Amino acid sequence: MATRAAEVSACVPALTPERNVTWPRRSKARLANGLEVVLAESHSIPKFHGELFFRSGNAAVAHRAPALADMTATVVRTGTTKRASRQIEEDLRSLGADLGSSAGADTSAISFSGLSEFAEPLLALVNELARDASFPEAEFERERRQKLEEVKLERTQPGFLSGERLRKVLFGAHPYADVAPTPQQVAAYKREDLRGVYREFYTPENGVLLLVGDFDSAAMMAKIEKMFGAWSGKKPSAPQAAAPANPRGRRVYLVHLPGSVQTQILAGSHAITRKHPDWVKLSLTNSLYGGAFNSRLVMNIREDKGYTYSPRSGMNALRQHGYFAVSAAVRNDVVAASLAEMFYELDRLRSLPVPEPELADAQNYLSGVFSMGIATQDGLLSQFSTLALNELPDDYLETYRGKVRAVTPDELMQTARKYLDSPNMQIVVVGDRAQIESQAALFGELEVYDAQGNKLSA
Amino acid sequence: MNRLQIPVEHAKLPNGLQVVVAPDATAPVVTVGVYYKIGFRLEPQGRSGFAHLFEHMMFQGSANAPKMQHIKLINSSGGTLNGSTHYDVTNYYEAVPSNALERVLWLEADRMRALKVDDENLRNQRDVVKEEVRVNVLNQPYGGFPWLDLPPVAFRNWANAHNFYGDFTDLDAASLADVQAFFKTYYVPNNAVLLMLGDVKADEGLALARKHYGDIPAGPPPKFADPSEPEQKEERRGDVVEKFGTLPALAIGYTMPKRRTQEWYAMALLEQALYGGRAGRMYRELVLEKQIAVEADGGIDDLFGYNGPTQMVTRILHKPEYSSEATLAAFDGVIRDVRQKGIGGSELEQLKVKWRSDYYATLEGGRGGYMPKYGLMHLLACFTLFDSEPQLVNSILDGFLAVQPEEVQAVAQKYLRNENRAIIFRKPEAAVKEAA
Repeated sequence: MATRAAEVSACVPALTPERNVTWPRRSKARLANGLEVVLAESHSIPKFHGELFFRSGNAAVAHRAPALADMTATVVRTGTTKRASRQIEEDLRSLGADLGSSAGADTSAISFSGLSEFAEPLLALVNELARDASFPEAEFERERRQKLEEVKLERTQPGFLSGERLRKVLFGAHPYADVAPTPQQVAAYKREDLRGVYREFYTPENGVLLLVGDFDSAAMMAKIEKMFGAWSGKKPSAPQAAAPANPRGRRVYLVHLPGSVQTQILAGSHAITRKHPDWVKLSLTNSLYGGAFNSRLVMNIREDKGYTYSPRSGMNALRQHGYFAVSAAVRNDVVAASLAEMFYELDRLRSLPVPEPELADAQNYLSGVFSMGIATQDGLLSQFSTLALNELPDDYLETYRGKVRAVTPDELMQTARKYLDSPNMQIVVVGDRAQIESQAALFGELEVYDAQGNKLSA
Repeated sequence: MNRLQIPVEHAKLPNGLQVVVAPDATAPVVTVGVYYKIGFRLEPQGRSGFAHLFEHMMFQGSANAPKMQHIKLINSSGGTLNGSTHYDVTNYYEAVPSNALERVLWLEADRMRALKVDDENLRNQRDVVKEEVRVNVLNQPYGGFPWLDLPPVAFRNWANAHNFYGDFTDLDAASLADVQAFFKTYYVPNNAVLLMLGDVKADEGLALARKHYGDIPAGPPPKFADPSEPEQKEERRGDVVEKFGTLPALAIGYTMPKRRTQEWYAMALLEQALYGGRAGRMYRELVLEKQIAVEADGGIDDLFGYNGPTQMVTRILHKPEYSSEATLAAFDGVIRDVRQKGIGGSELEQLKVKWRSDYYATLEGGRGGYMPKYGLMHLLACFTLFDSEPQLVNSILDGFLAVQPEEVQAVAQKYLRNENRAIIFRKPEAAVKEAA
């Protein structure tokens, strides 16, 4: 498929014919115990990258405590029935491996990479962590104490505070509203609660094992069957949370961070999940708005007006719901001016069709960047992981570029009207109240919070 | 052992521009970089932060690609781009579908040939850079810690000791004349290397380089200020107030051997022993075992890319119930142990495996997933500009894998001395007020 022509000055060299983007073949299997396995070969370096994830995360146990699945994942790597914490870390090093364990709203994951010559012992360790984690008391206490300092620290970061407030505002009573525990909630974590989460979530029926790298797929599949085949465990029952109310009308939430010399703006509205048929159209709309260097918002508030270094917009797809958000850290005296331009650019995309050449540029951008991940093992892994997590069709990668290039200016405007929900944007500003309150209040009814999440009087 | 070998072609054009091509047709993607041998270390005195501000100006317009054209042409070809300013080099790079290779080469050549910017562009980017400094330093907990905190305490030569991001008064004083003078002095083809990595054939890449860069005139070889430091004879200490963060912090930096010396190889293995993740001695002792610190990490910043005095830095955020001195004592325990006992043979073998694995990851690795081969590009550029030997990318690993235990202990004893270090204590404002 040819790249669409863009308007360029005469002396700029033309693009030469495009080489086909060929995604590596995936070998997929479901073991008798329910574990899904996805393998893809990539021989760029003598290493491999992998991920074992489970389809349950913090949201599924939010009613017990916020971020409980993440705390569970943190402690998983600190001991098994066969190896103590220090042994695990030294074994990893001697295999040339890196390993991380963490959980988000929808998944719990062990991610790893290592030298291909040591694939088998590294997989054996991953297998052990997934099945025989022992949650040593002393390790749990240390990690909990550590987490306590981390949650206090993150409340001093403007980026964290804006994200946390927006999630609360957009998701209300839904588990997606809580991104972090309070110090009191961390203090109340119990080792038994972590073990409970581990027993329920870390099962083959709930798991997906993905490997990309320098190996032979058939031989690797045989090894995996042998290693992971004897594991057993059911899929946990997933509690169904009621859909969150979609907030109507613009409102402004000011998080007061005394002494700030800049203001972090984050505004967002409900949008869609990755599986939604409008996903590609919204991706393209986002690229035009603030998702690329060459986007309208960046050109406006950075390259024209110099209000900010870091404006951007993006879609955040959680499994059950998604949201669209735009952010920028701006000079204190241009908070209102920046918000005005953010809304101006939203409204322009909602009101006027995008000129064809500008659309063509954005289509080329999105399809080009989408394929960039093909060049590295972890780039490939991240694409395959997204596919598996969202249960997207097998040909998703191969058909993506065609879908991007089929979008018309009219479809784009309809998409902007639906999801760049300017009239119902929820606006968060993090900064020094005295310097920005009157500017923020121009954009809707204002609520003020401190960094600990307490509501302050207006 | 499965060793990775990277095909590398190297040529020098008559105008002095070096060209490096590393072909790999695996994916239809090509990464292009241009590195200039000037970073923030040797920027003009009285113009702190200028090298970085100048980097921004390189995106503001060139003779045939006015403001916004450069960015628009890369994005609309399906690619991404960026630039970054380091101690001793500044880079500009793009990753694009390989059918845009010639377009990218033309764009980089256009701005190597002539920068076309005005006062309005300079005002605009000065504002942008100030917001960058605010978002990364002035409005962040532990912003600039310790990369901006340590140099003024550790070093005596302005080149190594000044504020690399720039004092706002210096940024305000920068003029268009400064921009053009800096460009004319340092942004000449004989002070640069052009790199192409990925889906490009060697002869094709070299031919395109000649076509687009061959007629750019060479300039006088830039004169560089001397960055050397007077010998340090005492431990140096300084204090910084932490405005937002809740935890007391400290950073300790030891000045390092020159790169590519035998000591440098040994030091890199010692770095792995001290900071190699959760198995590293520093994290293990301070966070996992003694449980004094919440964060304890560090290392040598840009091991392959420094061309002047640099430090191996440990960065520690510790629990408020421990004093700074108690934390420093625990840190000193780790250093004392490695000085007295060195590193055992079997531990060193483990470290080498991890080193090799990390090295491969660096070669393949991108920035944020969208800049494949960024690491390979950076290494090839540094080996070309500093060593005139890009092939080192394939042989340098041998030097690290040959390091012996006694060499590691020797560099620990020689370099990890109090008289060779500087310490920064960064304490939360609230705690400082309480103590006063």
